[in-house]
Amino acid sequence: MAPSIDYHCPCLASSPAPPPPHLPSSSYSFHPLHELFFCEECDAVRCNRCVSVEVSGYYCPNCLFEVPSASVRAEKNRCARNCFMCPNCRNTLSVVPSDPPDMDDGRGSTAALNAVGEPPFFLYCNHCRWDSAEVDITFEKPTGLAAQLQKHEDSAPDSLEFERLKEHFEPFLRASSSSALAGPTPASHSHHAHVNPITAAASSALARDIPGVAKYAPHPRGRRDKGPRDEMSEYRSRVEVGGTSAMGEADVDFMRRIEEESEVAAVEQRWANSWATSLRTSDLKPLRIPLHSKKSKRCPTCRHILIKPEQKAQSVRFKIKLVAANYLPSMTVALPRPLDIVRRGARPPADDPSGTPGLHAGSTYPFQIALTNPLYDPIQVRLSVQRQIPPAVSAAAAAAATEGGATEKSRRPPFAVSLPSSAFPIAAFAEAWEYEDDEDMFGVDGDEFGLESRDGRETQGKAKSKTVGVLEKRANVTIVGGEVVIGKDARGEVKFNMLVSYTYRSDDALPEDEVRGTPSRTSKAPEMKTFSFSTAVNLGPVVPREENRMDTD
Amino acid sequence: MPPIRDKFTIHSKAVVCQDVELKGDITIGSGTIVHPKATIFAIAGPIVIGAGCIIEESAIIVNRRKEVMRIGDDNLFEIQCRVESPSVGNCNTVSTRARVHHTVRISSYCVIGAGCLVVPAEDEVLDEFTVVYGPEAARRAWSGRGKVQEADLRRKHAEYLRETLPKFNRVRRGDGHG
Repeated sequence: MAPSIDYHCPCLASSPAPPPPHLPSSSYSFHPLHELFFCEECDAVRCNRCVSVEVSGYYCPNCLFEVPSASVRAEKNRCARNCFMCPNCRNTLSVVPSDPPDMDDGRGSTAALNAVGEPPFFLYCNHCRWDSAEVDITFEKPTGLAAQLQKHEDSAPDSLEFERLKEHFEPFLRASSSSALAGPTPASHSHHAHVNPITAAASSALARDIPGVAKYAPHPRGRRDKGPRDEMSEYRSRVEVGGTSAMGEADVDFMRRIEEESEVAAVEQRWANSWATSLRTSDLKPLRIPLHSKKSKRCPTCRHILIKPEQKAQSVRFKIKLVAANYLPSMTVALPRPLDIVRRGARPPADDPSGTPGLHAGSTYPFQIALTNPLYDPIQVRLSVQRQIPPAVSAAAAAAATEGGATEKSRRPPFAVSLPSSAFPIAAFAEAWEYEDDEDMFGVDGDEFGLESRDGRETQGKAKSKTVGVLEKRANVTIVGGEVVIGKDARGEVKFNMLVSYTYRSDDALPEDEVRGTPSRTSKAPEMKTFSFSTAVNLGPVVPREENRMDTD
Repeated sequence: MPPIRDKFTIHSKAVVCQDVELKGDITIGSGTIVHPKATIFAIAGPIVIGAGCIIEESAIIVNRRKEVMRIGDDNLFEIQCRVESPSVGNCNTVSTRARVHHTVRISSYCVIGAGCLVVPAEDEVLDEFTVVYGPEAARRAWSGRGKVQEADLRRKHAEYLRETLPKFNRVRRGDGHG
């Protein structure tokens, strides 16, 4: 796997410090940059796991018709126009006219066919050539097909049963909504309240006698919701199912007699259907295409909208788009191949003779982080390796990258990471780049940037080569180099947390943030602002030490 | 193996572009269209293509057998398909990047879907109206409804190409009917 950097969203954590990256559970707190949002009000990163999502509109993915939310439920979440899915291969079906009747075969006929076509019309799959005439569905006119098919759908026993259930629960739902209105707050009411008629209705339905199933023993808590349950009449289904039903036997019988596997509809073919359908391929019906929705997302704390798509289904733009990529520098990490390093004048301490990528135990590897500034102002960035214990350890971040958490503080990771310790600039983002090549900027001396693990470097005895520090600057991209020393008995993946703090000129009077990422408002309005966030850098797996030679040069 | 002798017989009403790779003994029927960059390769036996076929860019038609490879009328070979079947009937469609091995004989009104591989180990004949589709090259039988309209569309398609292609491409003239 290529080396990667994921960004931390502190939404799930109780402390602002990121979890150690080598724990499997921590993958939920780290996200790729393009998935993250940024709330300007809270000055914080938000991820898809913490934002609140609301549907801003429904549309059909095929005809792009925007379905008013009022009719979505009535149309059972599917397109009610002319969009159908092939029950055989799930392609979109098209409406086609029938062949003219008086033609023996199409060949030799020079008369152009009627452009309108003749009825009956049917649905036709261009991919697998399934057509609805196979299941006796044809149409007199090529418009309003869903309405013409409505009767098929409504007469399905499952659909009727569902309608009946809805009718049965209607009074309870109405009672619940009115009581919710009368109650203090609807939100507090909906969750734990045993008196809620909906839950009561559901539990009473569950408590119903089902032949062949042991009687449901009501748990002691059931006493409390006794009241509303008593008010409810028992639901009687249209058809008595369960026990020995004729349907199941017919299916068994059918399965016994099949000659080809294609006679049986595959699970995928029946899956998209709303109702239980028969096993036969010959019974598959065209399906109305399920609607899609456009969603807007809000910040969980301040309720400001973070992203809001344009209403029109055709549009792929957003009215509001506060994505983290517009605020945080985007970073990519790379392990340069030996060739690149040679060109840069540095030599890797342990050349892999086979040339295979991978980190070998007991070796030192340089790595490069390219930071891209999305802001229109230049920023100053400071990187530091983050340990789990006290957060402000930027000076002593030499050895350890992460530690396994409070309980295993003594256990150090089997590798050490060095990063440039001083802040470095990244130029502002500009639409058109017409910059002079800053050659002197390119070759910044390494002494200017203090090295976090100087002793680690000196033991390698290659002081002339420069791997740690600013390597390259161009446009709004700055590439910095780091170095990782992998222990002799290392295994697993080289993953560490890196704290990134950057200073920028703030336009508004927002307060200066402390280096911990969660800002607090003060009354001062300083010119420069600092924002910090954590990342998890994954340099890839360590090749266990077997055949690779010792790093002695 | 003796060297392949080229012998092209192209009907005067066929449109075969200059930039087409032809090798061996090839006969192309009336109204057939061969797009530029197509390859027709009669390695062993000759290839006879009927009337009204459309052979698109980068399509490859190969005859590896000694006997004549006969391709019927009104077939469509889409971009980058590869057909080696010893016989092809009428009104078939071989879609983009589909591949038909020399063990398969195609009858009529068959559709080989995009990217499908039809490579059985043993000889087989595709029944009429067979549709091969999807990533697993699943097969089903087409009811044949709409085949008249499809044939009509194919004819219009060929007609349009006959008018348009020569405007933008050099056209090869066969030494057969001139």
